[in-house]
Amino acid sequence: MIGRILVIARNTLLEAVRQKVLNVLLLFGLVMIAASSYFSQVAIDQQIKFVKDFGCGAIGLIGVCIAILSVAQLLPQELHNRTIYTILAKPVRRSEFLLGKFVGVVLLLTLSVALMSIAFAAVLWWQETQGLAAVQADYVHTPGWGKSPELTNMYQHDVAQIVNQVRDPQMVEAILLIFAKLVMAAAMAMLVSTFSTSFIFTVITTCGIYLIGHMESAARDVWLSHGAQATFGQGLFLEMLSLLVPDMNSFTIVDEILDGNVVPWWHTWNLLGYSAVYTGVLLALSELIFEFREI
Amino acid sequence: MDSPVFAAETLGLTKRYPLAWKRRVVVALNKLDLQVRPGEVFGLLGPNGSGKSTTIKLLLGLIRPNEGEARIFGLGPDDLEARRRIGFLPENPYFYGFLTGDETLQFFGKLCGLRGAKLTARINELIDLVSLQNGRERPLRSYSKGMLQRIGLAQAMIHDPDLLFLDEPTAGVDPQGSAQIRDLILRLKKMGKTVIFSSHLLEQVQEVADRVAIFSLGRKVLEGSLDDLLTEKEATLVSVPGELTDARRDELERLLAQSGFTGANVQFSRPRLSLEQLYLRTVEAERQP
Repeated sequence: MIGRILVIARNTLLEAVRQKVLNVLLLFGLVMIAASSYFSQVAIDQQIKFVKDFGCGAIGLIGVCIAILSVAQLLPQELHNRTIYTILAKPVRRSEFLLGKFVGVVLLLTLSVALMSIAFAAVLWWQETQGLAAVQADYVHTPGWGKSPELTNMYQHDVAQIVNQVRDPQMVEAILLIFAKLVMAAAMAMLVSTFSTSFIFTVITTCGIYLIGHMESAARDVWLSHGAQATFGQGLFLEMLSLLVPDMNSFTIVDEILDGNVVPWWHTWNLLGYSAVYTGVLLALSELIFEFREI
Repeated sequence: MDSPVFAAETLGLTKRYPLAWKRRVVVALNKLDLQVRPGEVFGLLGPNGSGKSTTIKLLLGLIRPNEGEARIFGLGPDDLEARRRIGFLPENPYFYGFLTGDETLQFFGKLCGLRGAKLTARINELIDLVSLQNGRERPLRSYSKGMLQRIGLAQAMIHDPDLLFLDEPTAGVDPQGSAQIRDLILRLKKMGKTVIFSSHLLEQVQEVADRVAIFSLGRKVLEGSLDDLLTEKEATLVSVPGELTDARRDELERLLAQSGFTGANVQFSRPRLSLEQLYLRTVEAERQP
């Protein structure tokens, strides 16, 4: 069973890699990340903060495009080209086929996020090098440099600030959380594509659900913050919505990391667990619908 | 006594498609009873939309019946054990255009659980069988229609199945390729395989099928062995070598009259080649060194 899922996953990844549209998207992401350092800011710490915001934003945006677009075209293409017939006539269960396709997309997302993260790390490293050179140049031309211990301490403090800002281990948490969000978006698209009849419908509906997922907590804040004002209907609607649509806004915790605030690992693990459970539920629903779909 | 296990069997198999916007239901297949014995070559005939492809899809478990049941070697079509014993070539097959011929066969072979040297040997064997040596390293998007059909046949046979479903295997293929597919079906028959195929080329069906079923408007209207169905029991054809001169013809007519065969019931005609036979004979003669 695992073997068949992996064979389909490998083929899905190979197909996506050989598709030029996704390569162009990925290239666009890499260029965006690389270009971020050219938007110069006054202070070096602001510049690094900008690069980090821009980099994570680019990974998230390009990643979600890859996740939704690649999943949305999977089933319609298989059905249109009738390639699904030859596969399902082999000793392959429908659930294995769907799971194989999904694992293929997850592998593609892993590859894309890894490549964009490497580019992101390279840009940050370059920023660090530039920043350290600028700080050193500032201090070297300061009168008393090399003689005053106070000046040396200030220099070391500034250097440590840049290094800590760039080499923030919490960035690993941020990338993991972005990745988890992308996997959830792919699972949403997979669920929609099992009952959708077209690529466009899948893309639009998934984007809709994705946006609702982002606005869900805002609606809860507005309607339920003053408990007495929220009607029973509003409460029930929000409860139903939070059950059906994952709360994507929880992942804005990435912004806290980018602002330099400490986000404990247990919080990240909680969110990763939440995304794994939701992905599992969305996939189980997809399997159920696909099992009974006429092909 | 145990009932025989058929290679494929349907009992009252029915498939309906509701057309919600027209508020009516299309009956694609109506109460089909069919038994195909192991080792048989069985032809499904009928015009477009008569239910041939629906029958094949139901037997493969690709679609589900509204009524009745389909069985493959006594098992349900969804049973993986049944799937291990069947191969399928869909009508106008499309495969992943980005894969080469070898990669395609590796992909389907791995799905069937084949690996390593065994898979490589099987691929080599099939490439020779379908004469596709020049397509091994080429992506399928550059294949001609005939080549796609041949790689389709190879993938259907990759796991050496006992039962092959071929949906219009000769559609869009030139007469040469069509004849190769016919020879392949005959070869599979000699190997003891069961083949169920649909085709519009009646002459080809006649050449390879043991039995046929004719479909019309979702119903099986005729079924039987070709010998039974095609033999004119009311007449006998006598063939003699060479041209019959008028004198000899008169003599034969006199002899037949003595035996009681007279008038319009006695006919003399020259045997004719089929156009396919003529084409193949001509093209093959040209290709001889």
